[in-house]
Amino acid sequence: MEHTYQYSWIIPFVPLPVPMLIGVGLLLFPTATKNLRRIWAFPSIFLLSIVMIFSVDLSIQQINRSSIYQYIWSWTINNYFSFEFGHFIDPLTSIMSILITTVGILVLFYSDNYMSHDQGYLRFFAYMSFFNTSMLGLVTSSNLIQIYIFWELVGMCSYLLIGFWFTRPSAASACQKAFVTNRVGDFGLLLGILGIYWTTGSFEFRDLFEIFNNLIYNKEVHFLFVTLCAFLLFGGAVAKSAQFPLHVWLPDAMEGPTPISALIHAATMVAAGIFLVARLLPLFIAIPYIMNLISLIGIITVLLGATLALAQKDIKKGLAYSTMSQLGYMMLALGMGSYRAALFHLITHAYSKALLFLGSGSIIHSMEALVGYAPDKSQNMALMGGLRKHVPITKTAFLLGTLSLCGIPPLACFWSKDEILNDSWLYSPIFAIIASFTAGLTAFYMFRIYLLTFEGYLNVRFQNYSGKKGNSFYSISLWGKEEQKSIKKSFPLVALLKMNNNERERTSFFSKKTSRMDTHVTKKPFLTIFPFGPTKTFFYPHESDNTMLFSMLILVLFPLFVGAIGIPFNQEGNNLDILSKLLTPSINLLHPNSNHFFDWYEFLPNATFSVTITFFGIFIAAFLYKPFYSSFQNWNGLNLFTKRVNKSQRVLRDKIINLLYDWSYNRAYIDAFYALFLTQWIRGLAQLTHLFDRRVIDGITNGVGITSFFFGEGLKYVAGSRISFYLLVYLFYVLIFFFIGVTPIIIQLI
Amino acid sequence: MVRVYLAFTTNFFPWLTIIVVFPIATGFFIFFLPHRGNKVTRGYTIYICVLELLLTTYAFCYHFELDDPLIQLAEDYKWIDFFGFYWRLGVDGLSLGPILLTGFITTLATLAAWPVTRNSRLFYFLMLAMYSGQIGSFASRDLLLFFIMWEFELIPVYLLLSAWGGKKRLYSATKFILYTAGGSVFLLIGVLGIGLYGSNEPTLNLEILANRSYPVALEILFYIGFLIAFAVKSPIIPLHTWLPDTHGEAHYSTCMLLAGILLKMGAYGLVRINMELLPHAHSLFSPWLIIVGTMQIIYAALTSPGQRNLKKRIAYSSVSHMGFIIIGIGSITDTGLSGAILQIISHGFISAALFFLAGTSYDRIRHGYLDEMGGLAIPIPKIFTLFSILSMASLALPGMSGFVAELIVFFGIITSQKSFLIAKILIPFVMAIGMILTPIYSLSMLRQMFYGYKLFNGVNSYFFDSGPRELFVLISILLPVLGIGIYPDLVLSLSVDKVEAILSNFFIENFHE
Repeated sequence: MEHTYQYSWIIPFVPLPVPMLIGVGLLLFPTATKNLRRIWAFPSIFLLSIVMIFSVDLSIQQINRSSIYQYIWSWTINNYFSFEFGHFIDPLTSIMSILITTVGILVLFYSDNYMSHDQGYLRFFAYMSFFNTSMLGLVTSSNLIQIYIFWELVGMCSYLLIGFWFTRPSAASACQKAFVTNRVGDFGLLLGILGIYWTTGSFEFRDLFEIFNNLIYNKEVHFLFVTLCAFLLFGGAVAKSAQFPLHVWLPDAMEGPTPISALIHAATMVAAGIFLVARLLPLFIAIPYIMNLISLIGIITVLLGATLALAQKDIKKGLAYSTMSQLGYMMLALGMGSYRAALFHLITHAYSKALLFLGSGSIIHSMEALVGYAPDKSQNMALMGGLRKHVPITKTAFLLGTLSLCGIPPLACFWSKDEILNDSWLYSPIFAIIASFTAGLTAFYMFRIYLLTFEGYLNVRFQNYSGKKGNSFYSISLWGKEEQKSIKKSFPLVALLKMNNNERERTSFFSKKTSRMDTHVTKKPFLTIFPFGPTKTFFYPHESDNTMLFSMLILVLFPLFVGAIGIPFNQEGNNLDILSKLLTPSINLLHPNSNHFFDWYEFLPNATFSVTITFFGIFIAAFLYKPFYSSFQNWNGLNLFTKRVNKSQRVLRDKIINLLYDWSYNRAYIDAFYALFLTQWIRGLAQLTHLFDRRVIDGITNGVGITSFFFGEGLKYVAGSRISFYLLVYLFYVLIFFFIGVTPIIIQLI
Repeated sequence: MVRVYLAFTTNFFPWLTIIVVFPIATGFFIFFLPHRGNKVTRGYTIYICVLELLLTTYAFCYHFELDDPLIQLAEDYKWIDFFGFYWRLGVDGLSLGPILLTGFITTLATLAAWPVTRNSRLFYFLMLAMYSGQIGSFASRDLLLFFIMWEFELIPVYLLLSAWGGKKRLYSATKFILYTAGGSVFLLIGVLGIGLYGSNEPTLNLEILANRSYPVALEILFYIGFLIAFAVKSPIIPLHTWLPDTHGEAHYSTCMLLAGILLKMGAYGLVRINMELLPHAHSLFSPWLIIVGTMQIIYAALTSPGQRNLKKRIAYSSVSHMGFIIIGIGSITDTGLSGAILQIISHGFISAALFFLAGTSYDRIRHGYLDEMGGLAIPIPKIFTLFSILSMASLALPGMSGFVAELIVFFGIITSQKSFLIAKILIPFVMAIGMILTPIYSLSMLRQMFYGYKLFNGVNSYFFDSGPRELFVLISILLPVLGIGIYPDLVLSLSVDKVEAILSNFFIENFHE
């Protein structure tokens, strides 16, 4: 079956024709291309399916024969430097490509409906397919230069997709922030690559590892320099995977359309950093400091992400911080050297989080009908609630994703997270305590999101009581510009809220609400791309269309069953699970002797412990969020309950809650810190250099120009063609020369 | 039989003379064309330009051997007997790329200058005159001829700037001419000094000069003279201030020529004269060149975000990118020099396209300042798309030519045997900081222009998106940018042997010491 490998170079190029054709079509034949519209979705899904089948085939071969395939051909031929292109198929590659293609197909399928009424439908599919191309290129690349190339391309796709709704100012700044932050990582990556090339003289992974380890072993290389290079390489991974100091772009990246958040900012692209570290693990392992640093960064991110997710209002931002925290787990696992656990968690988390994001997309889609298109309304969890009744299928899918992410036993994330927690006990107790604590926090914030969204009553209806908005109801255009236009007179929802106050309003509401709605909708030019017919009523959120539900339901299967690849089934004495089979030749630091000897007796207490923590988190979430929303009538009851608590205790509790809330709301003050120091500093520096350039450097030039001008003018005035004046000057100079000539003689005489 | 015929034509047919003289000679006929609006004039000019480009391509395709590092298509006529002034032309791997670039960019610039209506005959004549001057300076093999051609193309630029520029055109035109004339003084001193050194007969032939050696002090003196002249043109800080003013005021077709070709003449001169003729001084000066280039990358990239004027911002990005060329030249490695030459070509394409885009969007909105723009993505989506792509090219996105060039320059620094360990670590580090700063200014430019939402309630609230002509110009620039980015050997193969030949000088030098 060697021939399958031979053709595997085609993997990244299969989805490429779609973006090329759409791009060329949109530039040159815009109307014809736009008329085709949804037909474009089919080839992109079809081509991605081909890749999926191909990569499944490859990974089956990997399981059976565990072979690594590498093929290289040259890119630039020069006598002094040569860059090469190649493809490198190993278990890591095949796992990643299956992951990318499966999530990619489902997300493409989903977004056909999600984006169907958007003007940028084609642009979206072009970007998505291009992203798939570059991501597949990234995972199949065989050397560091190639990794860097696709790394940047992936970043560019992310930039374009975050700024997809370019009329939103927030999206505009978010995409720039994402790109620049990622560029900081790329800065490290590029320098690291250069440094590694300098020491080893190679880019190819296998040569590189061999040479590098030899060098380290023989102490032929300056240790500090090598550490620096490895650190810089790791910097690239930190930025891409949103680890601690460079995580700021990820929550802002949620400005992009939700399918993007599912595919790029949860499942695949942010995993690229994990992928890079996993790929270069043979290199990092040689330097223990770097491994410690990786696990340290991992644990910081785990905790930070979880605490930041605690009090987010925006559903997508909450999920984004959760992604960050989970990526921290993977990084922690890699730092501990448990390669298998990290990859396992990568897979399970990718599917669960993709499911959660698709679910949140479905919720947002339903909420947009009610509250408008501004992300701070349609994604605001404070306005949701009680969606359980209105969107039952989404609720089921979302709940499954939540349970999986919390680590409830039969679901996927339980197995992987448990493995990481186990390994962390072996690595360092402090890290293990933090990691376990964060597992509880994970359960808490995920259930907080779930409860706020689906339980209780629909909060949009009560916004009058909250006293924030008053009576006016904002209509928000699709392009995100808030229009301060109060349309309360004609909007049935507000009419409903005001029924008690205004009798006339009620009658009008009952008699001819739809017609009013119609006129209103058709009048507004920006509503031409309204995602539903104007005849639909706006009382309750509706379940999304079947296309979206279908892809969500398919994706539900993954968290249910994907854990199976990491669970050992005792079959004929062969104790290995699929994942271990795939990753057998890889490195494992923590269990060097017993290669995944799976012990149920060791496993059970640990599992019980982690599940207990999880349930504790869920319980607290339920305690804090459930009563408030489920029983609106019990307002007084709740108040009584809080009154009964000791006053000082309550103050303390409020203080803690406020503290947490502020911490989370202000994003741990890191963004503010960056804005205050880095951004302001760079701006100031730019102004300073600009001034310096204009005043000093240009000033000198202009000064020289002006002086010469005056000099010339003066000369013109002086040299006014009068003979007498020339004679005067002549005599003057003769006199001077005379004195110069005479003075030495006089001095000698004296 | 055919081969004999070809050999015959190669030896005796003056391809280069024709290529150099053709545009300006035919340009004179513009004044004799019938007065029927500018349609005839521009049609004629574009016809000439395309013909010239085809002619150049034909000559290079059939009469140029790529694997020969020596001068080819050489011509040598005595022009002025009195002081031994020769009309010497010739092409090698180094000048091949810039000549083709000149043909390409000038043709597109004439196409871009389509909307110019005021005094269009003179305008197009000047474009053609510049065409001749630029090709002439790239193709000349005689030092004095080089100088004359160098000066010759200043006059059209000055006139184009002072007659068809923006509001402050006279100021910037004067600045331009004073700066470059000031630089030319040093160039002339250098040319005469080298030519008259050591013998009674002035020797100005570059081939002979390349094999001569000078006393160290004199060589350094010559080197400084040439360096100042080329530093003004390149530009190298702190002699760059003419560039933002000039680019800010010039018409965008002039900008395309300025940024696309004229700046490259400085870099070309550095390689051609400073590296080839004065290798000893160059190896002394190269660390300073690297340091200055690194500073330039950072300095210009930092100055750029402070600019309000769109064209000035792009101009500073040009300055920043020229830093890579200087570093590549200073690294004295095959890799670095190849990178510099690749960057010459690649930046020629990218900056020309960016100035064209800036000009066309300026034509539509009539605001030159970035903070007055915004929300342009909806009315002009095609320009937005191409602007995004080319900004990405400018910030060295992989797959585009800029990335390959900068990467190769990086490798040039790393593999350089001259510099010290600390310098080798520090300089790529600082260069890479420039890599962070570049997206800051170019993406914020995009954001300020296109992103966001703005209601256009003015009289001209409806914009035309770019038409077929503009699309054609942009796509024909974009294709080579992508092509070089994906397969850099396209350009690298032109200059490989020449680069080796130039650098072998240095190693011989080192060997002797």
